[in-house]
Amino acid sequence: MVRNIVLAGVGGQGLVLATRIISEAAFRAGYDVKTNDVIGLSQRGGRVWGSVRYGNNIYSPNIPPGQGDMLLGLEPLEAYRWTHLMKEGAYVIINEKVVYPTPVLLEEEEYPYEEIDSLRDKFNVIRINARDEAKMAGNIKAANAVMLGLMARYLEIDTDIWEEVLRENVPSKDVEANITAFYRGYNK
Amino acid sequence: MKKVLTGNQAIARGFYEAGGLVAASYPGSPTVEILETLKKYDGIYAEFSTNEKVALEVAIGASLYGARAMASMKHVGVNIASDPLMTFTQTAINGGFVLVSGDDPGMASSQNEQDNRIIGKFANMGIFYPGSSQEAKDYVKYALDLSERFQTPMMIDITSRVCHSRGVVKLEDREEHKPQGFKRDQEKYCMLPPYTFKAQHFMRERIEKLREYAYNAPFNILEEVEGSDTLIVTSGLMYYNLKELNLPVSIYKLGMVYPISIRRMRELSERYRRIIVIEEMMPFIENELKLMGVDCKGKEYFSFTGEIHTEDIEEALYRMGVVNNRKYEKAKAVEVVSRPPMFCAGCPHRPVFDILKKLNVTVIGDIGCYSMAVLPAFKAAHVSLSMGATLGVTKGMNKAMRLNGDKKPVVSVIGDGTFFHSGLPGFVNLLHQIDEEDNMTFIILDNRTTAMTGGQQNASSGRYNENDDMRVHIKALLNSIGIDNVKEVDQFNYKETREAIRQATREKGISVIITTRPCALKYRIREPHFYVDTDLCISCRTCVKLNCPPIRMKKYEGIDELKSYIDPDDCVGCSVCSQTCPVGAIKRSE
Repeated sequence: MVRNIVLAGVGGQGLVLATRIISEAAFRAGYDVKTNDVIGLSQRGGRVWGSVRYGNNIYSPNIPPGQGDMLLGLEPLEAYRWTHLMKEGAYVIINEKVVYPTPVLLEEEEYPYEEIDSLRDKFNVIRINARDEAKMAGNIKAANAVMLGLMARYLEIDTDIWEEVLRENVPSKDVEANITAFYRGYNK
Repeated sequence: MKKVLTGNQAIARGFYEAGGLVAASYPGSPTVEILETLKKYDGIYAEFSTNEKVALEVAIGASLYGARAMASMKHVGVNIASDPLMTFTQTAINGGFVLVSGDDPGMASSQNEQDNRIIGKFANMGIFYPGSSQEAKDYVKYALDLSERFQTPMMIDITSRVCHSRGVVKLEDREEHKPQGFKRDQEKYCMLPPYTFKAQHFMRERIEKLREYAYNAPFNILEEVEGSDTLIVTSGLMYYNLKELNLPVSIYKLGMVYPISIRRMRELSERYRRIIVIEEMMPFIENELKLMGVDCKGKEYFSFTGEIHTEDIEEALYRMGVVNNRKYEKAKAVEVVSRPPMFCAGCPHRPVFDILKKLNVTVIGDIGCYSMAVLPAFKAAHVSLSMGATLGVTKGMNKAMRLNGDKKPVVSVIGDGTFFHSGLPGFVNLLHQIDEEDNMTFIILDNRTTAMTGGQQNASSGRYNENDDMRVHIKALLNSIGIDNVKEVDQFNYKETREAIRQATREKGISVIITTRPCALKYRIREPHFYVDTDLCISCRTCVKLNCPPIRMKKYEGIDELKSYIDPDDCVGCSVCSQTCPVGAIKRSE
């Protein structure tokens, strides 16, 4: 068994921490794991992406084309950008909060709303306003915990492992909000 | 005990376990995290030095004393450090010495793609090439051992993927290595002729001994498959990408890519009909094999640039007839709007480059976050080469222009980190042969941090951040060497800054402007946000052209024309857009 998870977002959205949490959870669940933390300039505003692979024995951290099981899109356009890595029928989890790229801000190009909508023809698309959910959980910065919770529903890792890893990896004052946010996603 | 570590963390862990004592670095992707991790270990002295040359020298000093030492840097950093390296390598190493070079195939965050295995060989070092976090840790320990055993400096050449990839690593305890002290021996440590004559022979013998050791070394692993007439020689991540294909071929994985055992390779070449080399960037292993007279194929089937993925390996092996069926098809990337990086909301560089763009002057840039001024939103820097290059380049261009009767000004920009890294000698050099026709303006973007690599301290950050221990005052420093025309400006006062820059470009001689706003990201600066008064907005897009993340044109309910909009969640209240708005439509919320 090998699980291939692609993460995509915008520099500054907390992709490194999300990658670390997933890899840590998979490791504690007894799997071999490899990741690519962040590819791209980690400065704010640029496209960044990464991957987590776990299973019995993982050689390369890179996901071969068409082999992705799960895409965690912290921003819709960035999720769309990496769908070529995904299997047909893969879960594509998208945070609805749009971050416009420079060519759109400068009105040179359009944001691909329709293309993102049409992803549902090929994939199991789940869209959520993680920022709003996190606000309701008490901390706007816990949006990624909502996304992780939503994803955790489809992975073979127990919630108590996720909880433990979240506790150890987010700042202590944000732990409760992150765990509440995680379950808001998990029970969605 | 096992733990999930990145390649960088694993290198730090390896150094710790091996009893490493002194480590130095200069921050640069992909190796920044090595030193940041080492700072957290007890019993190790770790510093980010002013530049890579100084970092290497700090590690050399410790090694001469008999301590295990490490210098880590990005690939281009080794260029800066290569002067001490090329001579230090002639000495007989006392305390284990490792140089970590972070290469960047595909240039995810670098200005070039140089393959530093070439430099490792040039410097007569043994070179390890890890492909996983476990290997990264193990190879540091091997390297330190071999460094002492063969009295040679060793290189760990690691690619950005492996630096930033996590994997499961088995942890071991730290072994103590008490330094034996520095024993005065001029013949060994004073690299002047005639001592250097002997050193040439010493280096040669040293490499040959290491080559002999490589024959049976535990890190060079031969995986033979019965019946295979093909042997693939590979190393690093390429081994793991290849293993994904699960092919019935023999593999020789080189943990150490230089020197390679000639005896081993000749033996293997007699047993296999076909030898294939898989490696990223330059045909380094392939050339080594060919120099030994081992017939092999490699680069002609693989790209000389960029990363090589599992699907690329499969495709090449298919063309060579090694595999008959392909599992993977190279996926076509989704064609969609790009997302270039941009200055953060509230970035102090934004007003400077907006002003420079509007003044339409030639700008010689440098390396740092402000390199992004090159990108389409501003296109306000016209040369970008290497750390600290802006000083000499600006002077040279200025001199050529004056000799050619071209009276236009030249503007140079440099950050504080780069100023201390290698800008200072260039500033001193400005004082030589100043001519009254010269017209050079130097803008020093002093944001009190080395921002691009994650906000490390530098020599001026202590003036803003009490925890940092260096408080160099750039203006006072420049004044003290005889550069008098130095102005400090607050670039969030847009008009004053524009006037200062405009005046400087009209003045002959050397003008220096230091902008004083600190990095918004590092220091988490957040003021009440701004908003657009749509009754006043004339849709001119002056604010949008500032390319600030929260500012865009928006369709408002009941208004036909698009008007500007500022996302209040992302605005940090720097006020620059409100100052450039020609009609005063952008207002502070509180």
